[in-house]
Amino acid sequence: MLDALGDPTRRRILELVRDGARPVGEIARHVPVSRPAVSQHLRVLKEAGLVHDRQEGTRRLYAVDASGLTALRAYLETFWDTALAAFKEAAEAEETREETT
Amino acid sequence: MTDPIEPISKSVFVRCDVERAFDLYTQGTDTWWPLETHTRHEEVEGAKVERVEFPTEPGMPILEHLSTGDALTWGELLVHDRPNRIVLAWKPNSNPNPPTEVEITFTPEGEGTRVDLEHRGWERLGALAEEGRAGYDEGWDFVLGRFANAA
Repeated sequence: MLDALGDPTRRRILELVRDGARPVGEIARHVPVSRPAVSQHLRVLKEAGLVHDRQEGTRRLYAVDASGLTALRAYLETFWDTALAAFKEAAEAEETREETT
Repeated sequence: MTDPIEPISKSVFVRCDVERAFDLYTQGTDTWWPLETHTRHEEVEGAKVERVEFPTEPGMPILEHLSTGDALTWGELLVHDRPNRIVLAWKPNSNPNPPTEVEITFTPEGEGTRVDLEHRGWERLGALAEEGRAGYDEGWDFVLGRFANAA
């Protein structure tokens, strides 16, 4: 999921679809990559649970959970992992130092 | 309505006693917290984090003090129960949304301490999102902003 957000083109695509559902062709006009490449990016975003699609007539529309809660939550999962790993390292370094002095 | 939003739960075992773990977490925050990546200093041009002020009185803010003299809040201390537990109203941003809640408990276990962290209260943000209240767009702004800065 975080890999999905790590790519600048995918972040741009998310910015485009966060305000409303759009078809691939329209998204492709706003990013400097080919339409097949946009489809590929959308597939990655969909697999990461950041984007969903629906069929409307002949068009397939892509949209996001506009609140971004899924993305925020996933971001904070790694935020806390990193913070607690740093905490553990510090707590145990301090303990070791005390034992050896 | 969407499904209830599960809290984030994290747990880590550290080889030191609960008092030390609690004091390091609260009073020694800036000695271990990832200050480069997990702080708000990018909001102030050219600022670096000087120290983190962690209160012991409920109702007081947790503050990130910057080299520019500014202080940015991470939220507010709700419960300070040394050496067992802290609860924080968590809002490390200046957006007009309610805080989420972070609870950290320190439990003696074997030769050390188990630290459990729960980050909850997402429904408060979710409710705003569902109402479509203007100005609420926390998630994407925060996450995309973060990644843009990291890129």
